[in-house]
Amino acid sequence: MKGSEQEFLKDLRVLAEDGAGGAPAAVRERLLIEFRRRSAHRRVVARARTAGIAAIAAALLVAWVSGDARHFLTGPHVPAPVVAEATDADFYPLPEAEGLPPIENATVIRVQMPVASLQLMGLAVNEDGAADPVQADILLGQDGLARGVRLVQ
Amino acid sequence: MRMNFIIAAVLLTAIGAYAQPGGPGSGRGRSGLGPMLPGDFAFVRGEFGITNQVVQGAPYSAEAVTEVTRTLADGNRIQRTITTSVARDSEGRTRTERTLGAIGPFISSRAAGVKTVFINDPVAGTSYALDPTSRTVRQMPISVRGGQERGSANRTTQAANRKEEDLGTQVIQGVTAQGKRKTRTIAAGQVGNQRAIDVVTETWYSPDLQVAVMSKTSDPQFGETVYQLNHINRAEPDHSLFTVPSDYTVQPGSPNPGRRPAQ
Repeated sequence: MKGSEQEFLKDLRVLAEDGAGGAPAAVRERLLIEFRRRSAHRRVVARARTAGIAAIAAALLVAWVSGDARHFLTGPHVPAPVVAEATDADFYPLPEAEGLPPIENATVIRVQMPVASLQLMGLAVNEDGAADPVQADILLGQDGLARGVRLVQ
Repeated sequence: MRMNFIIAAVLLTAIGAYAQPGGPGSGRGRSGLGPMLPGDFAFVRGEFGITNQVVQGAPYSAEAVTEVTRTLADGNRIQRTITTSVARDSEGRTRTERTLGAIGPFISSRAAGVKTVFINDPVAGTSYALDPTSRTVRQMPISVRGGQERGSANRTTQAANRKEEDLGTQVIQGVTAQGKRKTRTIAAGQVGNQRAIDVVTETWYSPDLQVAVMSKTSDPQFGETVYQLNHINRAEPDHSLFTVPSDYTVQPGSPNPGRRPAQ
C-alpha cells in the first residue's frame, strides 16, 4: 500500500510537469486505475460505516422496546427493582383520623398535591416550597376516609 | 449521506422515546389544568389494597355510605358523602369500588369521577388495583396480618385517656351487631385547648360478618362522621367481581412505594 501510494504521487508529479500538454498514455492509464481502486475502497468503507450505525440504531431500538435501554445508556447493569409488598407501614397517621374506627380493609391511592396540602394534613412543611408539587400515597379506610399519608420516593 | 441522516433520526427518536417519563406522573388530572392550590389534588393511580384480616365463610356484599359533617365557627356547614361498593366471597377475597372526589380535608374537581377498584385476593396472595378507564391493573403481593389496630396509621394513644362502654346488641340492616362506645379525652392544654375535648366513637360490629356495620365518630375538632353498611346481602357475590377482566393489561406494582414524611 505504501509503494502504491508513492507510485501514485510520482505519476501525479509527472502529470504536473507535463502541464496541459497531456500525460503519457501509460501514466494516464495507471492514474485511472488508481482512481477507480480508491473510489471503490471509499464506497466499501462508507457502506461498512453505514451498516455499523444502522446496527447500533437497531440494537438501541430493540433494547428500548424490550425495556433494557437503561443498560445501554447508563452503562453499569442495574438490577431489576424489587416490587414492594402491599403494606400500611410508613404512613404518617393523620390527626383527623384519630377518632375513626380501626382499619378493616384499606386502599392506597397515589395523588399529586402541592406541598402546602401536607400542611393542611397536619404536617410541618417549609413555606418556601409550598407551591411545589409532590406525590403522596394516601391510605384510605373502609369508609373512604384518609387515615395516613406517605411521600413517594 | 441521506442514509446517515435517516439513521441519525432513528437514533434520536429511540433515545427520545426512552427519555419519556412513564409511570408516576402520567396520571390523570395533571397536565393542562394549571397550578394546584392548597387542598387541591390530582389522582395519579390506585396503588393497592390492604386486608387486616382474612374472613372466610362469611360472604356478603353491601353499599358503604360515609357522611362527614363539619360545622364551622360561623354556623356554616360542610357536608359530603362517600359511597363505596364492597363485597367479600367465602374464600376471603374482597372487592372495594369507589368513585373519588374527596380525600380527607381535600376536595378536588380534578379527581372527581375517577373510579377506583381494588381486589384483595389472599388466596393468590395478591392485591390488584384496577383502572377501568385505561383498562390496566397493578398488582402487588400482600401480607395479611392477624388482627386489627396493627397498622402504623392506626392510633395508639395512651389507654389512660380512653374509656370504653358496652352498648349491647341491636339489629342493623338485618344483621346482629354489638355496640361499643369509646371516648378519648384530650386533656385541657394538650393541644392548646381551654377545656378537655372528648372524641367519641360508637362502633356496631357484626360477629357474623366480622365487620363494622355502623360507626359514628364525633370529634369537636373535625366534625361528625357516620359510616353505615346499607343493602347488606349475605349471598355469595358473583365470582367475576374478584377476578381481573381478561382485557386488562397488567402493570407491576411500585418498586419503592414511599416514605413517612417528617413530622
